[in-house]
This record gives sequence, C-alpha cells and structure tokens, in this order.
Amino acid sequence: MSAAEPVAFDHVTKRYPGTADAQGGAVENLSLEVPAGKICVLVGPSGCGKTTSLKMVNRLVEPTSGTVLVGGVDVMTRDVIELRRGIGYVIQQVGLFPHQTIGENVVTVPRLMGWTKARQRERADELLALVGLDSATYRDRYPTQLSGGERQRVGVARALAADPPILLMDEPFGAVDPIVRERLQNELLRLQEDLAKTILFVTHDIDEAIKMGDLVAVMQVGGHLAQFGPPDEILANPASEFVARFVGADRGLKRLSLSRVQELALRPPTTAHPGDDAAEARRGALADPFRYLLLVDEKNRPIGWIDEKEIPTDGRLSESMANAMSPLLNRRTTLKDALSMLLDADVQAGIVVDRSGSVLGLVTADMIAERMRETAGEASFPAVALEAQHVVEA
Amino acid sequence: MIDWAWIGDHLDVILGRAIQHLYLSSIAVVVGFVISFGLAVWSIRRRAIYGPIVGIAGILYTIPSLALFPILVAITGLSDLTAEVPLVLYSLLIFVRNIVAGFDGVPGDILEAANGIGYTRRDRFWQVEVPLAIPLIVAGIRLASVSTIGLVTITGILGDRFGGLGFFIFEGIRHGFPTEIFTGGLTSILLAILVDQLLVLAQRRLTPWTRADHAAGEPVASERAQPTRPVGI
Repeated sequence: MSAAEPVAFDHVTKRYPGTADAQGGAVENLSLEVPAGKICVLVGPSGCGKTTSLKMVNRLVEPTSGTVLVGGVDVMTRDVIELRRGIGYVIQQVGLFPHQTIGENVVTVPRLMGWTKARQRERADELLALVGLDSATYRDRYPTQLSGGERQRVGVARALAADPPILLMDEPFGAVDPIVRERLQNELLRLQEDLAKTILFVTHDIDEAIKMGDLVAVMQVGGHLAQFGPPDEILANPASEFVARFVGADRGLKRLSLSRVQELALRPPTTAHPGDDAAEARRGALADPFRYLLLVDEKNRPIGWIDEKEIPTDGRLSESMANAMSPLLNRRTTLKDALSMLLDADVQAGIVVDRSGSVLGLVTADMIAERMRETAGEASFPAVALEAQHVVEA
Repeated sequence: MIDWAWIGDHLDVILGRAIQHLYLSSIAVVVGFVISFGLAVWSIRRRAIYGPIVGIAGILYTIPSLALFPILVAITGLSDLTAEVPLVLYSLLIFVRNIVAGFDGVPGDILEAANGIGYTRRDRFWQVEVPLAIPLIVAGIRLASVSTIGLVTITGILGDRFGGLGFFIFEGIRHGFPTEIFTGGLTSILLAILVDQLLVLAQRRLTPWTRADHAAGEPVASERAQPTRPVGI
C-alpha cells in the first residue's frame, strides 16, 4: 500500500475574472496543512470556495497565485495526467461511466495505466469486496441498475483502485438519503482505519464535517478560511461570530458526541454484595451524598440500586432488594449517548463497566455538564443563539 | 393490374439493381458520415463555427434534388460522382446535427469525473465521449440512410446506369408499364426498412447499457438491507 502524503495550501488564491470577490467559488489566501493519513473536511456555505480549493489539488482548477503541495511537491510542476491518476476523486453525482459495467468502472485508472486484464479483474473483485459489494452480483451490472448508495460505494471503490495516497471527496454522500448517508459515513470511517489515506472531504453539512473530520476547515463566502482545527476545538472555541453561527446554537450538544466517557474522572460508587451486613451498608450509603447503594455480584458486576431509605436497619442484604437499574455504559460511549440515557433513567447515574461487565465507576449528568464547561473556551459569541441555523445553506 | 409473372421473370435484374442501390447509398452514407464527423468534432471544439456549418448544410439541403443531379452533369459528366455528390451533400445536415447533439448530451459531471480521474484528452474522447454519443449518432445514421436510399431512386433521372431500384420506376413510366413502377417503389421502400432495422440491431449491440434492466437495482429495498460487512460506529 502506498503511504499517505500530506497536502498543503500555501497562500493560495483563486480569482475568477469578471466576478466580484464575494461571488461563487473564489478562494482568498488559503493556507492550511493536512498531515498524511488524516481526514480534513472543508465545510462552509455555497460559494465559499471549498470545492474550488479541492479541485486545485488535482488541478481541475489552477490557482491564480500561491502553491498547492502534495507530498511536498508543487502540483503545478507535476505532469497533470500522472498527478490525477495518483489522486482518488469522488464527486457528488458519482460520475460513474454509464456505458461501462461496475467491474470496468472500478478499474478505470488501472486500465488507463495499462494493467493486464487479469490484474484488473482481480483488483475489481478486491475493491468491490472492500466497499461491501458482492463482486459476482455487481461486476457485470451497469450503473443505472444500482441504487444511489450502491453507486456511491462504487465511486469510492473506483477512487481507491490504484491505491492513491490521497483521496478527494466532493460532497460524496450529498445525493443519498440520511439513513444511507449515515451508513456510508460509518463505512468510510471504518475503511479509513485500515487505509489511512490523506482525505480532503468537502461538505456543506457541519454535522458531517464534525463526524468525519480529524481536522475541519470552516470557510466563508469570499473564500476565506474562518477557522481550521480539530472539530472539538471548533465547537468549543469558535474563532468568530461566523463560525459560531455556522456550527449552530446546539454546538454544545454536538461537542457531546465528540467526547467519550473515558475522558471523565469516574465517580466511585458505594457498593455492597448480597449477604453483606445491612446496617453497615446503610451507614456507607448515608455517608455518600449520592444516596444509593449499588449492589454488585462477586465479580463486581452490577445487580441494581438500593435506595438508602429502603436499606433495612439490620439483617443481611439480598438481591431482591435491588429494585432499580440505570444505564450501563462503557468507556467508548459518547457523552451524548450517556446523557440521553441518563435523562431516561430511574437513578440519575450511569454505571460504567468494562468488557467483562464489572463496575468501573459512575457518570452523572452533572459530571458531563462540568466537563463541557471545563473544556469550553471563553463564551465569546453567546448572543447568536436562536437564528443561528439560518446561515447554513442546504 | 400487376403482372406478377413479369416480377417472377426479372428477379435477377431486381436483385442486381438492389445491390447497385445499396452500393450507391452506402458510399454516400460513409463519405457523408466521415466528413460530418470531422465537421462536428471541429465545431464542438470551436463553437463559433457550428452555426455557419449548419447554415450552409441547411442551404444545401433545400436545393431540389431533381434539379441538382442534372446541373452537376455539366461539371462531373455522367459518372458515379454525379450521383454521389448530391447524396453526400444532403446527408451533411442530418449527420452534423445528430453527431453534435450526441456529444452535447454527454453529461458534464461524467466529463469532469473523467478529467479528475486522469483521462488524457484523446482517451476521454474515444473511450467516454464517443461511446456515450453513440445512440444519437446511430439515430443520425438511420435518418441519413433512409433519406439517402430514397434519393438514390431519383438518380435514375441521370439514365439507366443509375437509380438502383429507381431504374424500374423511370423505365416503367417510359413504357407505361405499372408493374415495373410498382416494383421499383415497393422494393426501395423494403430496402429502406431493412437497412433501418439492421441499424437498430447494430445500435443495441453497440450500447448494451441503454437496455440494462433498471428494475434489477431495486434501489430502496437493497439499500436498506443489511450490509455485507459490519458497520463500525
């Protein structure tokens, strides 16, 4: 597998003669660097220059000034055909060739590069399997015989055909319905874990950007880079009112989906086992401001909660006393899911367990709120709340 | 009214004339296509010349054929050229328009995808644009062929050496013999239909994707089905 290469924009400007600066597609003095193997999402409203920026990487658009570097080399010094064959390209309408079968479509680049028929065929089977399509079923079909989601997968397979170090994806999931889009997003992230390509991904959907990006570049009309950084940083510390509006009034909630339970310092529960002395367990529960006792089995796996009011003053604890459960979480659960489950629970504490099911600690809604406060920046743009979604163009 | 016995006795002559008819037609169609393809490609690259090319071809198309054949005799004498030049000129308008429409109909995103993937200009033209333009190009060939087969009949006005099956029409008129007129007319119609149908078959073979069964995709059902590999969260 070819190693991923970094992509960099160095003071790149693209002007279209005869149009005002604010009009579609221009890019103004863009500088950013995408490290090898990372997904960088370019996001912004229509006309912000995100697609123009993408197309300057494979020279479908050539910069007016500045330099685009792939693997440290100025793309303008490369042979344009060779450059493009070394960069996977996926577009919204997919751009599959309607007169070629799926098998022929996916090995377009290998065919142009003169691979033998046998090697092409083998590669086509590999690629279709990679994107989850059964080769025997799909190889000889034509694109019109596939659904939108299937075509999109073929588009990704085609972009990966010659194992390019870089992928450019221009609203790749824009034309499919939300359920299919979510699945394709997850599949791409799963693929990326193995492939580790450098991916430039264009979207107008901030949620998609946050989900897909290791890095997010928020662009605004006129081709200005408004902010560039990891998604959590953009949500926590929007650099301008434009970014704050663009990411939306619910950016706090969005951040919850980026953080996981493992980032919290878990609260130790007061626990007891069936058969323990009730009076002593009661004293323990009363000493804890969280007035519940967590009954666990001999392997420290949770059985249920006992309200301190219901702990008998003498005798022994038994399993039948545990009458309420609360959600079981693991360390990878997002804070968004954790909070959502907590809001529904009888006892307002999520029990975090490890792989074997034994208790690691508790999560409460207060802890999640505290975590968000700690990591948020100064509340610099608080007043944009209600009408914020309006600037996000569909 | 129709003397069937005469037709039975002259089958070999009719076949010979049919072959001549095909020969005169195909030369005109092939030459007309080659010239038109060049003109069409030229005018796709340089849009400004498309208007003038179609304009001139349109003017040529309006010249009455019955007048053009005899006039050419002054320049080319009584040769095959006298028959072929008008046939070719008449085909240009049909061909150029259809070929240009064929290339114009290739979707822009397909072309951009081809560029982005790394097709050279030449490869893109022959491997993407031409195949996708085939349905409209073949439609042009069908129109031009049928129209040329009709016009070949009229070349009979140049004399018995010409006309293909049209020879029978002119000879039948001279002799006042309806059977011969009927034979010439009917056989040239049959020839036109035959050629047209052969071209339809040829197009189907050349463009298998245009009759791919759309139902096979079952978009919604198959899309919502479980993926063949697990999906990570």
